[in-house]
Amino acid sequence: MKKTITILIVLAASMIPFVANAAAPKKGKKYVIGMSQCNLGEPWRVQMNADIRKAAESHPSLTVIFKDAQNDTLKQRAQIEEFINADVDLIIVSPKEAAPLTPPVTAAFRQGIPVIVLDRRVLGNRFTQFIGADNKLIGKNAGEWIARHAANLSRVKQGGKARIVELKGLMTSTPALDRHLGFLAGIKDAPVEIIFEADTKWLEPEARREMESALAVHREIDIVYAHNDPAAHGAYLAAKAAGREKDIVFVGIDGLMQEGQAYVRQGVLQASFEYPTGGAEAIENAVKILAGEKVPKEITLSGRSFTQE
Amino acid sequence: MHEIEGFVEPAALAPSVKLTGIGKSFGAHRVLDDVSMDLFPGEVHVLAGENGAGKSTLIKILAGIHTDYDGMVMVGGKPTRFNNPHDASHSGISVIHQEMSLVESMSVAENIFLGHEPSRGPLLDRSQLTRRAFDLCAQLDLAFTAADLDRNVEEFSLAIKNRIEIAKALSLDARVIVMDEPTSALNSTEVERLFVLIESLRARGCAIVYISHKMEEIYRIADRITVLRDGRLVGTAPRAGCPQPVLLRWMIGRDLDGFAPPRAAPPESAVPALSVKDFTVPPSSPGRPPRVHKASFTVRAGEIVGLAGLQGSGASELLQGLFGAYGPVCEGTVSLAGNAACKPASPHDAIARGVALLTGDRKGTGLILDLSVQDNLTLAALPRLSDHGLVDKKRERNIAVKNVSDFGIRVHSIEQPVSALSGGNQQKVVLAKWMNTGPRVLLMEEPTRGIDIGAKHEIYEMINEWTARGVAILMLSTEMPEVLRLCDRILVMHRGEITAGFSRAEADPEKILAVAMGASTV
Amino acid sequence: MKLFLSSCFSKPWVRALFALVLIFAVGCIFNADGAFGRWSTHRDMLRQVSVYGILACGMTLVIITGGIDLAVGSVLGFSAVLFAMLSIHLGLPLLAVLPIVLGAGVACGLVSGTLVTRWRFQPFVATLSMMVFARGLAKWLSGGQKISSAVQQPDGSYSYVDLPPIFDWLDARLLGGNISAVTLVFIGCLVITWFVLCKLRYGRYLYATGGNEAAARLSGVPTVGARLLAYGMGGFFSAVAGICQTVQERQGDPESGVSYELTAIAIAVIGGNSLTGGRGGIGLTLMGALTIGYLEKILSINAVPESGRLMLTGVIIIAAVLLQRRKEA
Repeated sequence: MKKTITILIVLAASMIPFVANAAAPKKGKKYVIGMSQCNLGEPWRVQMNADIRKAAESHPSLTVIFKDAQNDTLKQRAQIEEFINADVDLIIVSPKEAAPLTPPVTAAFRQGIPVIVLDRRVLGNRFTQFIGADNKLIGKNAGEWIARHAANLSRVKQGGKARIVELKGLMTSTPALDRHLGFLAGIKDAPVEIIFEADTKWLEPEARREMESALAVHREIDIVYAHNDPAAHGAYLAAKAAGREKDIVFVGIDGLMQEGQAYVRQGVLQASFEYPTGGAEAIENAVKILAGEKVPKEITLSGRSFTQE
Repeated sequence: MHEIEGFVEPAALAPSVKLTGIGKSFGAHRVLDDVSMDLFPGEVHVLAGENGAGKSTLIKILAGIHTDYDGMVMVGGKPTRFNNPHDASHSGISVIHQEMSLVESMSVAENIFLGHEPSRGPLLDRSQLTRRAFDLCAQLDLAFTAADLDRNVEEFSLAIKNRIEIAKALSLDARVIVMDEPTSALNSTEVERLFVLIESLRARGCAIVYISHKMEEIYRIADRITVLRDGRLVGTAPRAGCPQPVLLRWMIGRDLDGFAPPRAAPPESAVPALSVKDFTVPPSSPGRPPRVHKASFTVRAGEIVGLAGLQGSGASELLQGLFGAYGPVCEGTVSLAGNAACKPASPHDAIARGVALLTGDRKGTGLILDLSVQDNLTLAALPRLSDHGLVDKKRERNIAVKNVSDFGIRVHSIEQPVSALSGGNQQKVVLAKWMNTGPRVLLMEEPTRGIDIGAKHEIYEMINEWTARGVAILMLSTEMPEVLRLCDRILVMHRGEITAGFSRAEADPEKILAVAMGASTV
Repeated sequence: MKLFLSSCFSKPWVRALFALVLIFAVGCIFNADGAFGRWSTHRDMLRQVSVYGILACGMTLVIITGGIDLAVGSVLGFSAVLFAMLSIHLGLPLLAVLPIVLGAGVACGLVSGTLVTRWRFQPFVATLSMMVFARGLAKWLSGGQKISSAVQQPDGSYSYVDLPPIFDWLDARLLGGNISAVTLVFIGCLVITWFVLCKLRYGRYLYATGGNEAAARLSGVPTVGARLLAYGMGGFFSAVAGICQTVQERQGDPESGVSYELTAIAIAVIGGNSLTGGRGGIGLTLMGALTIGYLEKILSINAVPESGRLMLTGVIIIAAVLLQRRKEA
């Protein structure tokens, strides 16, 4: 019995540092925004939260409560319900899945709490605003950039085709599929051929391994198109180890400040296409909504592209 | 092949099972060669032989476990070949293995009919199951109520489990029941009850194949005796035609000069090697009596002191406690070779002080079966064989080679896994392992359990050699003749206390048994 | 002849070698236009399998004691983040960084080992909790971000620092570009493991503890110490693997090493180390590592699609283990 109590006390004590900063702040004349992030395991989503936090800092009237659903649909659903019960002024949600999260979002919307849905959609139209980027569009932009670049290659000028390696994201995920399809649309009719393609599951070590195989099999590679910047970076490291990094152009997607943008600046990548998080835009629109202004139902973000030029 | 004149086979009856020219090889090793044997209804047929003689292999062929053999098995006059144990049991051959083959977590009734449950269509017929199980148990003098039949097998004692196995055999209408050392875990009352049961099985016309190492048992119940040696048939004879000296000669291939070699007791002046005062081993769970209570005794250098006691007497726990196997929880004082008293804290500590413990369970706690003969031989002595944590491989090998020749361990190579050795050779490996630690006090539990007579004899000779060099031995044995012949003094334990001590001259089996069973006066 | 072959085949290393030769033969047939014939392919394979192989060294020690260590992948991730933070962000000298990172790895292993020995947890449970905990530690330490040469400033912008030279040394190729430095680290780990298992008294204690703990303890074997050594070494090798992973990725990723423990277990098992303990050796692990490495390389150079790779890998693991199965007498 004594042992059980000791264990319980230790357990409770160990939770304090983690629970303390989750306690909801007092509501004064300020606005409280609830933000439910589906998963903080990906740097891109960490960046989304950072963008929201940073944008909110310039509005002293806003307090944002962040919650991480740890990739668990039901947990995220519970979080939105908690926000409703806490009577927050606005909810921002980046949902894990559409169908199961539609009911709580609808419930909040019906109670008059404005909801901004970020990145992934929910079903129907019972929310205030959707902000998201279009992976197909970004893939297409990358494809078009590559098509333009290929036209300047000497091989193409001599009537050949530019030789491309495509390092895909996890092909069972929608973003990877869209980035692939958009890319195909972008390079349509261009003088290019995909000579090697592999699934890297978004992972850098996998990308490095696949690129090493591509290098072993193909003596001539002109362009590497990777579905995310880490994969492009992994491919670059493989080429560098083979002493062939100068012959190849590397293109990635995401354009995070500490990854893609840094790689472009260091000369590792020729181009990185931003997949914007929409965090800043969400706060911008939240301020408008709270001030009673009317906002568009849907905002499609066009990402920036970072290139060597 | 020995034929005993004047013996007439019970020709009036046809054999239940006839084995002709049975042979079996494992790889290049021929373990059984041209063995023939008849089993008649209503006989108790003892199968004898040293360990490794091929008894187990023969039984496994009969039980349908080994299916790849030479020769022919005839059941009820028809040539038969079993493809699996299920075939064998449904042909009326049941084997009761040393390791019980009951499912502990199932009820008695379910176990009895496991694999041939009475059923109506696809449904289990519970009422018939219980009724028939009840009948069978009643026949076996098992006073089970219907509620008992629903209890799990694990709740019963070994003796009862043994009977449940026999009930299972009867439920299959067994014509041949093989019992592999059935008494090894039974006390004497239980043994008596088993013999009564065997008598009734014989009266029903079952053939019993009985494997045993115990002389008294063999001569009490055998109708005929068959002896195997090195995988070959030595002979079959009726009990009267095969008296003990003949049996021993058949089994080991030579005459043994007496049971244990004579030994000289150490002089009274010999120094004490182990002095124990008020040694107490606390109970395994609170509220129970201590496992050993205030034991005090001395073992002198070169002396063999025997511990006698029935199951649960605390003798085994005393040895474990002295060896530090329970950790530093024991009370009282232990002093070695007159040194200051110390408390055994761990086996590691005990070994460093020159104490060794040969445990009674060779495979469970004596050997590491996956490791090679050499690794087992040197395991306990590694601290002496290494320098700054590095093992001196050359010295290690030399010691292992020397052990093999000194102890007469029969191996192909010292690299072979110790699991491939016969019981007697494994026991020699364990003994050699302990002698390599250079013990001054050797604690032993059942030093000759489950090994054949030849190896036993060799071990007795070695023990005499060690005591002559001044090693003190404290040994526990449940084999009364062994204790009486080998030990200079005998301490008897009952319920955790040492209740009596005898010199060899005073000791006799009846007195020891009486004290061990708790009689206050002798 | 048949007898000779069957007696050879009863040795685990012969069967492990057979599996390896079989995979190699497959590679010779499906050689991707001769790519399999070039040394560079084999050199890259050796580099790719090194991190897994280093983890498998620790796994071998733990498996020989009859345990299992599910935490190696997470400890790798934790060490990777710690190494990147200390060496890139704090810019500490290598002589300070290495003891801290390796020490942290050993500490993780010792915690698992203590849970197993003193608190009598099942190795599966103890290391499962360490696996989750160490992953949390890695994420907490890094704030969920990859630790790279981009350093976040208090105002949210990024500044860029140079990577310390160890990143170049360890990700370099040596001996005329014919072998990767991390492969040499892997070989070093193999040698250390071999030394522990075959030369040290404690190596024998690992086998004895895994083979029969009760018998080992009654033979004076310090079984608690043996298990602690195995888990501690497991943590040490995880930290080494974490450093190798970091220099190859040029950043410390808190997500790195996810599910690597399964690959490490697969390597040990395909090599023929017995999961029940007491049997095995580092040579078997090496052959297991090469088998897995070649398998992945062959699938990769032939650009086999992901679905096919998963199915083939599953089939080949079962086939290799079937090959290993000892014929019961």
